[in-house]
Amino acid sequence: MSESSVGELPARRPSRQLATHQENLSVDSSCFSSPPVNFLQELPSYRSATRRRTTVLARDKQSSILLKPSDSYSSQREGEITENLNTQSIRKYALNISEKRRLRDIQETQMQYLSEWDQWKRYSSKSWKRFLEKAHEMTDHLELWRKDIRSIEGKFGTGIRSYFSFLRFLVLLNSVIFLIIFTLVLLPVLLTKYKVTNSTFVLIPFNDIDMECTVYPVSSSGLIYFYSYAIDLLSGTGFLEGTSLFYGHYTIDGVKFQNFTYDLPLAYLISTIAYLALSLLWIVKRSVEGFKINLIRSEEHFQSYCNKIFAGWDFCITSHSTASLRHSSLRYELRADLEEERIRQKIAERTSEETIRIYSLRLVLNGLVLAVLSVCFYAIYVATTFSQEHMKKEIDKMVFGENLVISYLPSIVITLANFITPIIFSKIIRYEDYSPGFEVRLTILRCVFMRLATICVLVFTLGSKITSCGDDACELCGYNQKLYPCWETQVGQEMYKLMVFDFIIIMAVTLFVDFPRKLLVTYCSSSKLIQCWGQQEFAIPDNVLGIVYGQTICWIGAFFSPLLPAVATLKFIIIFYVKKLSLLYTCRPSPRQFRASNSNFFFLLVLLIGLCLAVIPLTISMSRIPSSKACGPFTNFNTTWDVIPKMVSTFPSSLQSLVRAITSEAFAVPFFMIICLIMFYFIALAGAHKRVVDQLREQLSLEGRDKRYLIQKLTEAQRDMRSQPL
Amino acid sequence: MGQCLRYQMHWEDLEEYQALTFLTRNEILCIHDTFLKLCPVGKCYKEATLTMEQISSLPALRVNPFRDRICKVFSHNDVFSFEDVLGMASVFSEQACPSLKIEYAFRIYDFNENGFIDEEDLQKIVLRLLDNDDVSEDLMMDLIHHVLRESDLDNDNMLSFSEFEHAMAKSPDFMTSFRIHFWGC
Repeated sequence: MSESSVGELPARRPSRQLATHQENLSVDSSCFSSPPVNFLQELPSYRSATRRRTTVLARDKQSSILLKPSDSYSSQREGEITENLNTQSIRKYALNISEKRRLRDIQETQMQYLSEWDQWKRYSSKSWKRFLEKAHEMTDHLELWRKDIRSIEGKFGTGIRSYFSFLRFLVLLNSVIFLIIFTLVLLPVLLTKYKVTNSTFVLIPFNDIDMECTVYPVSSSGLIYFYSYAIDLLSGTGFLEGTSLFYGHYTIDGVKFQNFTYDLPLAYLISTIAYLALSLLWIVKRSVEGFKINLIRSEEHFQSYCNKIFAGWDFCITSHSTASLRHSSLRYELRADLEEERIRQKIAERTSEETIRIYSLRLVLNGLVLAVLSVCFYAIYVATTFSQEHMKKEIDKMVFGENLVISYLPSIVITLANFITPIIFSKIIRYEDYSPGFEVRLTILRCVFMRLATICVLVFTLGSKITSCGDDACELCGYNQKLYPCWETQVGQEMYKLMVFDFIIIMAVTLFVDFPRKLLVTYCSSSKLIQCWGQQEFAIPDNVLGIVYGQTICWIGAFFSPLLPAVATLKFIIIFYVKKLSLLYTCRPSPRQFRASNSNFFFLLVLLIGLCLAVIPLTISMSRIPSSKACGPFTNFNTTWDVIPKMVSTFPSSLQSLVRAITSEAFAVPFFMIICLIMFYFIALAGAHKRVVDQLREQLSLEGRDKRYLIQKLTEAQRDMRSQPL
Repeated sequence: MGQCLRYQMHWEDLEEYQALTFLTRNEILCIHDTFLKLCPVGKCYKEATLTMEQISSLPALRVNPFRDRICKVFSHNDVFSFEDVLGMASVFSEQACPSLKIEYAFRIYDFNENGFIDEEDLQKIVLRLLDNDDVSEDLMMDLIHHVLRESDLDNDNMLSFSEFEHAMAKSPDFMTSFRIHFWGC
């Protein structure tokens, strides 16, 4: 069935053979399904494709030279060089360096025949490109943790490397968010406080609101216990409460500089909107790459065989152990894919009664999953309520540590739920009879939803407590001012506690579980139980969920606690080093390796889900819950969002009417309809393109068959001609 | 493993190599140092050559299952000059364009060098990837059948260059995995 292996096939490697090879018509009689390769190499299509990729240098140096970069598809007349060639494209030629040098010399002599204007254009574009390259090279040096990530890639492959580059991305994102908040909110306050510039605070003008709403009792106990500082640091109360860490510190209406007054409430709101928009744009920009590839592929599922065979080996692996691991993981993956194919075929052949049974079973099991989720959410609700009610007890009436446990109770319950539910989910999904790949993805999706929804439940519980005052509906101030005189600060404190606890748990798990496990496995190798348990595997999905959880907390909390992104940046930096140490010293790579492309898309998708889930409580608290009247920059406004209408009312009247028109229904409904029409147009266009692609593919395979048939006839005719007596 | 004459690279040469390859200044200098360490005594780096075994034993390549093919594709007359090593590093560098990588990937995977990746080549690729000889016939046939079904558009049981190019353009992992960091500094 294979084609002829003729003694010496004409090796058509044009870049190194200088001579064009003569046709070798040695013919093999045993090929019926595929023609001899040498025949195919004579076809004009093959020759022009090869010429397109590399240069064919004629033996005779004086004759014309055909030159093309490997990606230029413009048609070429022999002996001409297009005007579009410049130095940049020399690199793209598949030639060795001496041939490229010759090519460049030829180009430069050819340049002399161009007009002055073209020469200058070419020269300036070259120097601009060179400048860009040098700038790029210099910024590459500044890339954070470049060497660390490279060494991880060499030892563990690209899947785990993508986790660490994701962590680096989050560090950068958080530092930029902090920069935004710093310049818009903190900087004017700090400049005035430390008398750097000659500016003063503009205090909030006295308004006729009920005096009761503005009472903000500063909690001060007579005796300061020695451990109260530690407790305050961990739970954000006490001495931390009035600092610039929390919202309550910014009880200022503005900052008066020499020429203008800086409107602080507006700046605060705009910084929130800015950091949310920036996060969204940056994540979408990063995920566009992976998404484009997703859109190109038509019907193959994500892990195609071509991808695994041709791009399956990570060429950057340098250590023997990683290489053997890669071999075994490839073996595992390819076998698993074929297995999945077989299962999919089996699923397609299911009878209808089997299908009904499976679907009803799945319905029951999904109901079970929902039940588990609601139990967890209810537990969090109860824990938060309990914690909020008992946190206000006086410090000297409590046993040491009880205060800490009560204030951390929601965090503890959330962490416990996040440990238990993945185990339950992975047990449940075994009965649902999905293909293995889909099982993994669905479990991960459920865990993601579980983890991120717990934060939302916590925030909503807090919100409901803030807006409920016993039986009546909080008419006095709009919120429960007895328990929450400055509710934004208290929400900020909860977010701060969540973040600190998350950090403590990650460190504790690494120090007290991973390292001892490794020590046990190394030194107690006699015990079979311990050997079965084995070393830790670096589980990518769990680790990614952990840091996305931290980032979601940061997004929600940054409004209530402006310094929280800085805390998050520090936390992620420390986690990077801790995880790197843990990876290098305690982990063995798992046989199931995550692919880089799959990972990048998955990480950014989860992060996007986190962002969407973070926006919901923020918008509700900004627009529904009245801002606290005792602290913060929004005491004069009903809700936080009211700053915007007030700002709009200061615009000139034409602009005002424009803004009003854009936000009215008369504009929104037609706009929405036009967007829908445009979307339908593009969907129809994509469908039409797909049909054309399918037709062309079919045509291509028919042409290929014709070609083989004709070549077969030709070889038979030649054979007959040869065998005829002369 | 002797030391070449400590021939410092001229600035013009460095600029020229930067213009002709995708490598950065640091990468070129690091490769220069590595080359000097390996090349024989008494020769200047521009004339010295390295054997394929020496290149195959570089840390970047020594565990690569395709290292013999890489050496074959990038060497001239079975030896490596300094510029050959630079050319190889340029193709495998991070900044290289996809079309160049696809071109050389095709040459590397074409074991019998007939201009097509046929079933024989695919068999060899799979054996190299799985690194054991007891791959069952069924598994092999299945894999080859799936690869050809996905990428062989004209149904001739071989992959021509354009079919390979088309498949690699759709492959999300190709650019990230077809990279080698030669410089160890």
